[in-house]
Amino acid sequence: MAGRPSLRVVIVGGGTSGWMAAAALARLLPGRCSLHLIESEAIGVIGVGEATLPHIRGFVERLGIREADFMAWTRGTFKLGIEFRDWGKIGDSYVHPFGTFGRGKGDVDFHHYWTRLRRAGVAVPPLEHFSYACMLARGNRFDLPATDPDKLASTYGYAYQFDALLFAPYLRRIAEGLGARRTEGKVVEVLRDGASGNITAVRLEDGQAIQGDLFIDCSGFRSLLLGEALAEPFEDWNHWLPADRAVAMPCRTETAVTPYTSAIAMPAGWRWRIPLQHRTGNGYVYASAFTTDEDAARALTGAVEGAPLADPRPLRFRAGRRRRSWAHNCVAIGLASGFLEPLESTSIYLVQQAITALIELFPDSAKCAIERDEFNRLIDMEYDRIRDFLILHYHATTRTDTDFWNYVRTMTVPDSLAEKIELFRRAGRVVKYREGVFLDASWIAVYIGQGIEPEGYDPRADLPDATMLTRSMQALHGEIAATVAQVPEHLHYIDRYCAMAAAA
Amino acid sequence: MSAPRRVVVVGGGVTGWSTAAALKRRVPLLDVTILPLAPPAEALADRIATTLPSIFGFHDDLGLGLDDTVLRTGSAYRLGTLFRDWVQGQPDYVHAYARHGEGMGSAPFHQLWIRAALAGTAPPFDTFSAAAAMARAGRFVLPNGDGPFGAHGVGLTLDLPRYTAMLVAFARHVGVRSQEGALAGVERDAVGSIAAVVLGDGTRLTADLYADCSGPAALLHGLLDAPREDWRGWLRCDRLVLEDLVPPPADLPVLEQVTATARGWQWTGAMQRGAVYREAEGNARGGAIAFDAGASIEPWRHNVVAIGDAAVTIEPLEWSNLHLAHSAIDRLIAMLPAGAPHPLERAEYNRQALAEARRVRDFVLLHYVTARRDEPFWRDMAEMPLPDSLAHTLRLFRARGRLPFYEEETFDRDSWLAVLLGQGVLPRHLDPLVDSVPPAEAARAMAAFQTAIAQAIHPLPTPAGFRAAQARHLYERA
Repeated sequence: MAGRPSLRVVIVGGGTSGWMAAAALARLLPGRCSLHLIESEAIGVIGVGEATLPHIRGFVERLGIREADFMAWTRGTFKLGIEFRDWGKIGDSYVHPFGTFGRGKGDVDFHHYWTRLRRAGVAVPPLEHFSYACMLARGNRFDLPATDPDKLASTYGYAYQFDALLFAPYLRRIAEGLGARRTEGKVVEVLRDGASGNITAVRLEDGQAIQGDLFIDCSGFRSLLLGEALAEPFEDWNHWLPADRAVAMPCRTETAVTPYTSAIAMPAGWRWRIPLQHRTGNGYVYASAFTTDEDAARALTGAVEGAPLADPRPLRFRAGRRRRSWAHNCVAIGLASGFLEPLESTSIYLVQQAITALIELFPDSAKCAIERDEFNRLIDMEYDRIRDFLILHYHATTRTDTDFWNYVRTMTVPDSLAEKIELFRRAGRVVKYREGVFLDASWIAVYIGQGIEPEGYDPRADLPDATMLTRSMQALHGEIAATVAQVPEHLHYIDRYCAMAAAA
Repeated sequence: MSAPRRVVVVGGGVTGWSTAAALKRRVPLLDVTILPLAPPAEALADRIATTLPSIFGFHDDLGLGLDDTVLRTGSAYRLGTLFRDWVQGQPDYVHAYARHGEGMGSAPFHQLWIRAALAGTAPPFDTFSAAAAMARAGRFVLPNGDGPFGAHGVGLTLDLPRYTAMLVAFARHVGVRSQEGALAGVERDAVGSIAAVVLGDGTRLTADLYADCSGPAALLHGLLDAPREDWRGWLRCDRLVLEDLVPPPADLPVLEQVTATARGWQWTGAMQRGAVYREAEGNARGGAIAFDAGASIEPWRHNVVAIGDAAVTIEPLEWSNLHLAHSAIDRLIAMLPAGAPHPLERAEYNRQALAEARRVRDFVLLHYVTARRDEPFWRDMAEMPLPDSLAHTLRLFRARGRLPFYEEETFDRDSWLAVLLGQGVLPRHLDPLVDSVPPAEAARAMAAFQTAIAQAIHPLPTPAGFRAAQARHLYERA
């Protein structure tokens, strides 16, 4: 727009965060900023095959991307939730669905009625049998949700599982098409203004200095600008989330291409399984205090379902976040701002939230204290809530088979989480948020799935006649099973909708 | 002790009867007894006739329809409030409970409006609210269909005696027991909980849970030394003069008219008129009700839940008094302990209640701190330090036209915008998302929107006409 200052935005680091930020800013703020992304091919990209949350669909849509095209390009599959195996105890399995339990209507949540019948000794099926999304997932089926809110098939959302190494180039094409500039090179020096402390430029290996008004740090764990140059302190959550390493290794898919990600508990952490169209991503997230790198690599190699397609690749990290994600004129997005293990597929979600907040709060100049404070308030809230949710998975266990599980089972958890657990344990109550990534059904899935069964329930669940209630629950159970049986198989749906191009 | 089953409600105004009726109707296994003490003059939730749209949700949960709650009680529909003279030199504005305009692409409507306003070309913000325009035109419909009148919020101005009588009949019908008598004393047990409420004739009422709906004196809750948050440093009005309109105006106005005065404000509605002000030293007016703005930090303490003015006292600007009582009732029902009550459950209840009350306080205070008038009272108001949450809201809005998100918010984004933009608070910078919409294109869409509203209003009935048609329909069905 005429007369409005255009900010020079410098993004340090490509990869998923960098190119997501570049594509979104280029698309949604044309004329407000010029974009210059610096990345080095010599620095590896972390992307290890990504599982996402349903929010990603809004991001893809806002960029004007056609879903089928994007999924074919990134060899993506659909995702209805996450399966957790061996968490509450060895042998357990539950699905955290992107959907509700029961019909998802009414004043009193479905699980209160379910709890009532269980406690009265009625043989009701497991809770997940009353979730359409869970049953679709268990049946390896997929279809797009119905739009009619009265239909069972409207009670879920979905996300994608895709190859992150293909996602960044896909976004790069979009961003460059919209005018973003890319420079190949390594940042060797960060130049700052003596008076304000703001970053003025970054110098590359070849000597050129790239000047900017706003710097976006997408440099990954290194946190080159925010962490190193601006020395923003790191708030360490390692004592609650002790996993600090991972080893990743893709393999050939030998079992089903499931419409869900799996998180399988391991002796010193957990293992992900993310099925894509052409292969399955695997990785073992573990705590180095409880196992060795060699043992972890061996455990992963021994656990994967098919022939390895690469050597095991090690990663190191630390759970926590920078005290502020935005300091001076530098906004960190992605791993440069903090890290939470991918147990609930929140990495890309956090990137997306940061980008959305940055766009909405996009400053007119490098003077941006108000925008910065609000940005940090929003991002902190996201991190803190996800943190509690992740800790719950470790803490709600009866496992005593390794030192790792003994530690997480008995550790002191944040008060905010201890209170949430106690409220659920007493009467099945979930602390309500109006906003935030994981709402009621997510918490209920994990509580019940990991054996925190409520001792009581909402007194109003006692109102319906027991026989009628049992009968209507049986009817719902039957209806879900019958409806799910009509839905196409996941792979068939993909073949029709978004099959990847034959391997080149 | 096991799950609470016996409840005693103390207080016989709208708050007490609403509490008793809702508890018994929605959780029939409770044993509910009410001690219907006449509500004191200071109990604003019992005395202010004007209510917010949330009252319809409260009625729905009880299974009460429009026939019972509106037509048979002679209550009047309302669409919002008209504010006059809050900002010198600015036209009056309407805060209706409805959406303003339509966003374009990813640009929210209010940002497009702000851009036009900064360029000096925007008609008043409330002309983009179909409900506000309908109210100004003296027309009324309940929300229906998909058009401009599909989703506006409607409140009620209650005929309090008739409405209370309806609640009493309903409460008795669903099984609330009423115990007449005077409160003579309260017995406490060893831990400080209430053991019994003792009446004048020596009758003892015992319960697992006591709902204190006795007004600001908080006859039960007040004995428990619950800490209270004092808001008088911010909300400086401390007197209310209240008068019933007898008979009420025949044309059933759908807007309260709220006019700022030298030391507060005064209003006229469909059933009442009144004035709220800060008492000048040595200049007491007779017949005024004194009140102290503030909220209990622990409205649920031991086995007593304070509801209405016993929990929170706030001036009636924006009519939140009964709303906060309804909200407390809903929260209590949603959080009724399933077993022996636990401190954590109370703490969670109190956290939510206080967060909600504070944001209502912020919204009421917003009117004062963004007002611009010359009198010393108003100049002081404009300069005082604000609660952090309101300071943050204003700072962000003034910078960016953006409203921060808070949990437990009563008034939605459109309500905040109606007051902020109605009082002429314009941000310095725009949301960059408006760049995608050329100003001329936005102006055309805005003009078309106004035309559509005007056309849609034209055939609508007056409030009295609407009510007459509704009453005929009811009569024909009967």
